[in-house]
Order: sequence, then structure tokens, then C-alpha cells
Amino acid sequence: MTTTVAPQPNAAAPGPVHKQRGRFADKAGLRIGERFASPGRIGAIVALVILAVFWLLPFLWAVATSFKTETSAAATPVSWLPPDGFTTEAYANVLREGNIPLWTWNSLITATAITLITLAVTALAAYAFSRLDFTGRRWLFWAIIASIIIPPQVLIVPLFYEMLTLNLVDTYWAVILPQVVHPAMVFILKKFFDQIPVELEDAARIDGAGRLRVFWSIVLPLSRPIMAAVAIFVFIAAWNNFLWPFIATSDASLMTLPVGLQTVKSAYGLQYAQVMASAVLAALPLVVVFLFFQRQIIKGFATTGFGGQ
Amino acid sequence: MALHHFAHRRTAGDAVLPPGQGLTRRQMLIGSLATVGGVAAASSLAGCAPSASASGLHELAYWHLLSGGDGINMAGLVDKVNALDHGYEATQTVLAWGAPYYTKLAMASVGGRSPDVAIMHASRVAGYAPGGLLDPWDLDLLAELGVAESDFLERVWAKGGLDGKQYSIALDSHPFIMMYNLDVADQAGVLGPDGQLAPIDSPDQFLEVARAMQAVTGKHGLSYGYLGDGAQMWRLFYTLYKQHDADFDLSGLTAKVDDAAAVESLEFIQQLLDGTICTPSGDYGTAVSEFMSGESGMFFTGVWELPTAKSSGLAFDAQPIPTLFGTPAAYADSHAFTLPHQSSPDPEQRRASYQFVADLLQNSLGWAEAGHIPGYQPVVQSAEYQALVPQAHYAAAAEILNYDPEAWFTGSGSDFQNYFLETVQSVYLDGADPAEGFAAFVRRVNVQLAKPNPV
Amino acid sequence: MSSAALDASATGAPPRTTTAEEVRRGERERRARDNRIGWAFVAPFVIVFVMFLIWPLVHGFYLSFTGESITGAGGELIGFDNYAEALRDPIMWRSLLNTLWFTVLSTVPLVVVALILALLVHQGLPGQWLWRLSFFMPFLLASTVAAQFWIWMYNPQLGLVNYVLGAVGVEQIAWLQDPQWAMLAVVIMTLWWTVGFNFLLYLTALQNIPEQQYEASALDGAGRWRQLRSITVPQLGPTTVLIVILQVLASLKVFDQIYIMTQGGPGGVTRPVVQYVFEVGFTGYRFGYASSIAYIFFAIIVIISVGQMRLTTRRSA
Repeated sequence: MTTTVAPQPNAAAPGPVHKQRGRFADKAGLRIGERFASPGRIGAIVALVILAVFWLLPFLWAVATSFKTETSAAATPVSWLPPDGFTTEAYANVLREGNIPLWTWNSLITATAITLITLAVTALAAYAFSRLDFTGRRWLFWAIIASIIIPPQVLIVPLFYEMLTLNLVDTYWAVILPQVVHPAMVFILKKFFDQIPVELEDAARIDGAGRLRVFWSIVLPLSRPIMAAVAIFVFIAAWNNFLWPFIATSDASLMTLPVGLQTVKSAYGLQYAQVMASAVLAALPLVVVFLFFQRQIIKGFATTGFGGQ
Repeated sequence: MALHHFAHRRTAGDAVLPPGQGLTRRQMLIGSLATVGGVAAASSLAGCAPSASASGLHELAYWHLLSGGDGINMAGLVDKVNALDHGYEATQTVLAWGAPYYTKLAMASVGGRSPDVAIMHASRVAGYAPGGLLDPWDLDLLAELGVAESDFLERVWAKGGLDGKQYSIALDSHPFIMMYNLDVADQAGVLGPDGQLAPIDSPDQFLEVARAMQAVTGKHGLSYGYLGDGAQMWRLFYTLYKQHDADFDLSGLTAKVDDAAAVESLEFIQQLLDGTICTPSGDYGTAVSEFMSGESGMFFTGVWELPTAKSSGLAFDAQPIPTLFGTPAAYADSHAFTLPHQSSPDPEQRRASYQFVADLLQNSLGWAEAGHIPGYQPVVQSAEYQALVPQAHYAAAAEILNYDPEAWFTGSGSDFQNYFLETVQSVYLDGADPAEGFAAFVRRVNVQLAKPNPV
Repeated sequence: MSSAALDASATGAPPRTTTAEEVRRGERERRARDNRIGWAFVAPFVIVFVMFLIWPLVHGFYLSFTGESITGAGGELIGFDNYAEALRDPIMWRSLLNTLWFTVLSTVPLVVVALILALLVHQGLPGQWLWRLSFFMPFLLASTVAAQFWIWMYNPQLGLVNYVLGAVGVEQIAWLQDPQWAMLAVVIMTLWWTVGFNFLLYLTALQNIPEQQYEASALDGAGRWRQLRSITVPQLGPTTVLIVILQVLASLKVFDQIYIMTQGGPGGVTRPVVQYVFEVGFTGYRFGYASSIAYIFFAIIVIISVGQMRLTTRRSA
């Protein structure tokens, strides 16, 4: 999510997030009951249902296929309900090969490491930009903002070269390190820190607390929502990233879920039910997390969405 | 546990690359970057020895690009040699055929964490080995394990050599051949007294036979699918071209080719694709199912379709594509074992890899059942192989095989065959002028020849 | 204590008992201290920033003037040869045009459909979570997964798309194999996969429109349509501008779904420029040449970004 630098509009201000809490809830249904049966409204409902069905169909179709036997998955004419019944055979086969759990583990390790490192380095830097007057602060900040324009896709060749040089190709580090640089997040966090009243820190500083302590015990606790938003954004981006991990790893045992799924083939040819079962298994972790934390995730994206305008 | 993945399997001081000027610059960069970040320090934490597991077995990483019927066969073969208990446990990784496979193999080789053994098409070795992406085979060690040059046909062995070193050892050769439907051939009266197709030795005779078969099936005489498939187009063209005993020399700055032979071959192909003998717009899959369902008499295809043909229940036989222009010739390629470059391979681990390859070669009768002609001649000469039909009927194709012309950009799954598709498909499909189409192809090839081999 | 000095200066009232010399010394100390701490705080970020963004950017630029290969051979400077070759390379031009064409084709529906979805959902119908789930969840899928779903949807014989179209009498289409349809198929899949993001941004913007405006206009007797035209759409203006900017940039970088679904085919009609960089560099082993194409692409991104920025700042000025 790279973006340009433009003035922040109304919506996704990384501002006082706590004030936004509950807006979805308040407004949803606000006008329910008001002219409930007008033709326009019925039309809107119908349109919404049709669109939602269209958006859910690929999921449902994939799930249906994944519970078929290979024979009925490849049978014409196409049908939702297989004549020989549903089966979990495809899942059993996929799990028996053992790659999916391994790749899920790799994704979890790398995405977690990326998120933690990103949060640490980004928050420290953002705090310094917000509070500390050091030489070079201004141009460094603008350099970081300007770098938002650099598309990571342009860097694949020199980055791979660098990993060769560092002897890191085919290690977790090769996957992780290039993904911890999120200049836009520095901007978002700095804007948030700017809004925390300095007075809160001054009191602690008079008591002799060092900057790091103030940052840790006063600023961070106040910044939980924004930190969560950044974490969600970075984690999901890392979990789903394809191009760089695809280049950084050739060893099948080190691949992340999206990369392994695309790169490693079954020796047994194209088996539709198994391919769909793998895809469904790969989609599952984030879908489940989303179902549980829908509100937080949506708010996280709404906050970081403009990538630091 | 999985933490060792953070660090490199080999130590940081190892050279990542074969000697060359890139190396020293990269090593200098190591120094400067390491001081900036201290990240490289992580890689010196490595220290996991190359994988000799607790049981004393050498774990071998084995890459190939065989899926479908070939993949099932290879999986069985790997299980079989693992069970020989020769001190290794090989695990196969299957990557997508063609460009994706060769891309990943090169990236793994320069990255220093390459697989122990990998299958390559023999036709790709010439473009691959010069940059140091492959390690040469130690022929003495191979001989010790019972694999020597004399065990291979000369053309097949020679294809794996470069500058006096042997970079690949052929598991098989898989020529482009002809299958035919025995019932259709019988009804068309084109069988010889031995129950096999009577010899055909001219283009006109071939057309006659094909028309006779068309009369029997009522649909087509010949199945051949090529639409959107440069490899299929090239396989037939090159077979016919080489039957003219013509050269296709890409060793110079421009291609040296025989235009007359090319035009004659293409004109013959146009005669075949007349809608009666063969559909002018069939793709690979269509041709397979047409032949398998008995709607044609003959089928130009690779030996790898043998399992499909067998499981179709069709009464069929197979032979090399008849010699129509004087010189017996068949387009072919080989699946060949290579050692992707490793910076400082453990001798014991390497020895286990050699043992694994020797075992696969010596057990390649199972591989022959998938249609491929084993490279290891003791297997071909065995009574068991000679009893395999129709394999034994087309085994002669291995003696007349022709690999892709040698250049860094040719070979299976390379761009070379795509150039043929882009420039010549209209000759096949729309009856465009063969001379013009071929000239366009040569021009495209010359553009490529003007560029240096990047590795 | 310099922190006391800092606090004193912060309040703007240095105690009168200290001399001017002392104040200046305190100031110097405070600055030196801030300097040290400041740089210590930004150092970790600056290190990864330089190592994994700035250095590759600079080094890639250098590589683009060399004949470097993946094996390290040919690393000497060759001037502008790579750029000259790129400008004469029909595949590079084709892939650039493909990328631009994809950007045009995808941006419009990705903005318009997102707006429609957001307006519909914002009606406040019951089951908010279900609507948001339906439209946003695809965005959480990895490209590989989303692409696999659609490869299956598009399967000519076995896919749902042709099945549904077949029911209304449309002949079988080889969506991903037919040069006529492949790009459209990729765009449809991309719309399904990523519209949720823009949808969410629109939805948030809609929820931030002050309710009083609607109430006021309702008192004036404005109907829903008029409210939509006179309040909602104008209020969404700045959001739309930003969404368009983000979408154009995101579309220009397309790679994943095309590489997975069509490998750039058939016959190169969908190959985006990022894929060509990948192919030249890693399939063709030519790091130097790949870098030159990457930089041509980068220049285009910069030009488009700056152009968009100028356009928007001028308009808002």
C-alpha cells in the first residue's frame, strides 16, 4: 500500500481513534424504519443481496469442490451436489502430504517477526520525529515520506542480489528483513503521537524518567489502538505477500503459504478437489481471524488505509 | 526447532558463487553491508551441518518437473530406491514444468542452498552449465557405482558434455514418435505381414496411408495437435527437417540453416493439415482424445503419452515417425540428472547423491513403463525391456534422435519454441507462405544470437 | 540537570538567577542530548530503511548500467546499452502497454463499484456484518488463493462462470486461454478480490458525513436522491480523489494474479511489466537488463504520481 503525500481528508484520520468507536454501530440502522418499504429501498436490498451472492460465490464454489471426489469434481455437467456425496478425502490427502501445515507455520513465523520488528523500529522512529529535536530531523523525515513512492516491485533484482551478498537467500531472514520497512507507518504513528499532549510526559520527565521510559510507560499505552491498527495492516500484508517471498525462497520447506501453494506441484497431476482444498485451507486462518475480530480489522484498515496521507 | 531456518545451512564464509569477477565484488559488498547492519552476523550463527539425520541416512533433496503419469511413476521409483537402503533418503519436490522450474533451479543454485540432485532437460544444459550453475559429475565415482560412458548411446551421452566435462547423465530419452490404431490400420490394409505398419518411405506414400485410414474412421487419418503450443509445432517440424539431413547450426553469430529443407518440411505439414487427413486447428488435448477414442488412425506424439494410450483400452502400436525424406531422424529430449552448484558440498553427501542416481538409472525399467526409453543401455538390452510392447518397437528412435540445436536460449520449456510459435503458427493454421514464416523465425533467432549468453 | 533546563525553556521563563552564559550552556547540553537520543531512537529504522530500501534502489540503478547476470558474470559498466535495448524491445513495450491497459480497465470499476457497494451498505440495512464480510473478505485472501479460486471459476468445461453463462445460452469461453478475453478475466477477478478495500474507505467516509446535514436538508424537503447528489457525493469528493490515486498506483504494480492465472499469456497479451522484469532477471538471468526495465517503470510511476499530485493540489488550491 504505497501512497502519495497529500493532505488528510475528513475520513481516515489516524486521529483520536477512541472517538470513532461505535460509529459503525450507531449509524447502522439509524434510518431503519424510516420509509422502510419505499421502492427505492426494496431495490437497494435486492441489489445488495445479488451483489453479496456474487461476491460469495467463488468461496462457496471452491468449498463445494473441495468436498467432492476428484471424479465428481471433474465431471460434466457441472453440479453443486455431487452424485457420490461429499467427502473430506481431498483434505485428508492434502494434509497427509504435510506441506500446508509447514507453510502455515512458516507464514506465521515470518509474518509475526515482520510485525514485531516493524512495530518496534517504526514506533521508536515516529516518536523521535514527533518529540525530539535532533539534527537532520527535517530532511530525514521528508526522505522517509518521499520513499513511500518507491514500489517494492522495482527492487526485486537488487534485493535478491543483496541477499546473495549477505548469504541469506533461502532463510527466514531473507523473507523478513525487506518487509520491515514501512515508511508510511512512520508517518501515521508520528501524526498520532503529535496529538498526545506533551504535558502528560512532562510530569514523568520532571520525576526523572528517561525518554525510553516515558515512551514505554506513557506514550505506548495511550497508543494501543493505533499500534493495533498498524500491526493488523502489517501482519496481513506480510501474511499475503507473494512476490518477495517467492523470490527469496526456493527451498520448499521454507516457503510461506502463498508461495508454496503456487510453486510446489503435486506429483499426481492436476486434481481439482485437492487444489481447492489447499486453497481453502490456506484461506482459513485469516478468514477465521476476521470473523472474530471483524471490528478491529476493519477499523485498522480504515485507519491505516490511506497509507499515511 | 525451525529456528535454524533463520540462518544459512552453510557458513557465512563460503563462496556463494563460482569464481568469477562478480564474486570479489560481492564479497566486498559483504564487508561493507555487514558493517552497516550487522545482519550478516546472523548468518554466521548457521552451523547446521549438511543434513545427515540421526539415523545416519543422508537426506537428499531431489527436484524435478514431472507430474501426471510421469510424476506418479517417478514417485514410485524414488520409493523403490529409498527402500534399497543404500544410505540415503531422497525426498522429491515437484515444481511446475518449464520456465518456472528452470527459474527456481537457477535461483537456488546461485543462492547456495540448491537441491542435491535435479532433473533437467538435456537440451537446457548448454545454456545452464557455463555460468557455473551446475557442478560437473565425477566420472570415476560414477564408474565405481556402475555407471560409465559405455552404458549410454553416444548421442545421448555427448549431449550432457561441455568443454570436456560431463554435466548431465541421461535418465531417458523421450523422442517424438508415431502411434497408430491397429484396427484402423488393419481395415485400411496398411499393415505388413508382421502385424506392424508396413514401411512408409516417402511423403506421398504417407499421405496415401493417411487417406486410407481417414476412409476407415470417417473423421481424420492423423491426429496432431499444436495450436498455441510451440513445442508441439517444433517437434514435428524438426523431425522432418532433420530427415533432410539438414543442419541447424546456431554456433555462429547468425543461424546457418537449410531453407529448402525447411520449406519442404513445412509444405508437407500443410498437406497434412488439410482438414481431411488432420484438423488444421487442433490443440494438444483435442488430438489426444481424438486418437484415444478411435477417430483417427495415426497420432504424432511424444512417448510420454503411452500410459494414457494404454489406459484407453485402444489396440495400438507405436514406431518412430517414418523416414520420409531420406535420413532417419526423430526429435527428442532427455530427462537428465544434474548436480546444481553447491559451494562446498560434503563429500559423503555427494557420494549419497551419486548412489541415488546410479540406483535410479539401474532401476529405470519402471521408468520405461511410462514410455520413456531408458538412457542406461543395460536396462534397454535386458530381456524384460525387449518384452515390453510397444516400447521395444520404437526404441530404435533413440539411435536417430536429434536434440534442439545448441544455443543458450534453446531447449525444452525455453523461449526458442515460443519464437517458432509466434512466427510459424500462421503457416500451420492459415496456410501462410512457408518460406516467409521460416524466414521470420530465423530473423527472430538471429536477434537472440546477437545477444551474449547471460550466464 | 538538563531536563530541568529543558522544562524551564519549555515554559519560556528561565529563572532569573541563572546567568546568560549558564542558559546558553544548558541550551547546548539540551541540544546535544536531544541529538543523541533522537538519533538513537531513529537508528533502528534508519538502518533497515537504508539497507533494504535505499541501498537496493541505488544499487539497482547502478546495475542497470552493467551487464551483470544472475551468476555474477558480466558485471562491468556498459553505459546506456541496456536502456537502448529496452527502448527497442517490443516485449517491453507490450508489457508496459499491458500494465497501463490493465490500470485503465481496473481503476474505473474498482472505484465505481466500491462506491455503489458502500452506498448500498450504508443504507443501514440489517445484517451489516454480513455485507461487510461479503465484500471485504476477498481482500484478506492471498493472491495465490484468490487466483486459484478464479482459475477454477474460469475453467472452460468445469467452471461456474461458463456454467452460468451456458444456462443463458452463451457459448463456452476459454477465459484465460483466449487472447480476446484473458485481460478482461483478470480484471474481473481483480475487481472481486480487491474492491473491498476501496469499499471500506468509502464506507468510513460515508459514516463521517455529519448527520446534521441530512437532517437539515430533510427539513428542506429534500428526497433521498437529492440528498445523494447534493450532500453525499460532494462530501465524498476528497475520498474519491485519494482512492483514485491509490488505485492507479496499486494497479500499475500488478503482478501476482496475472502471473498465477495466465503467466502473462496467452501470447503475452496479459504480461505486466513487473512480470517482464522478473522474467528477464530471474528466468533470463539478466540482472542488468532487468534493472533497466525496472527503472523505466519506476520513472513512469514517479511521473504519474507527481502528475496526480499536481492535479489534486491545483484543484484544491
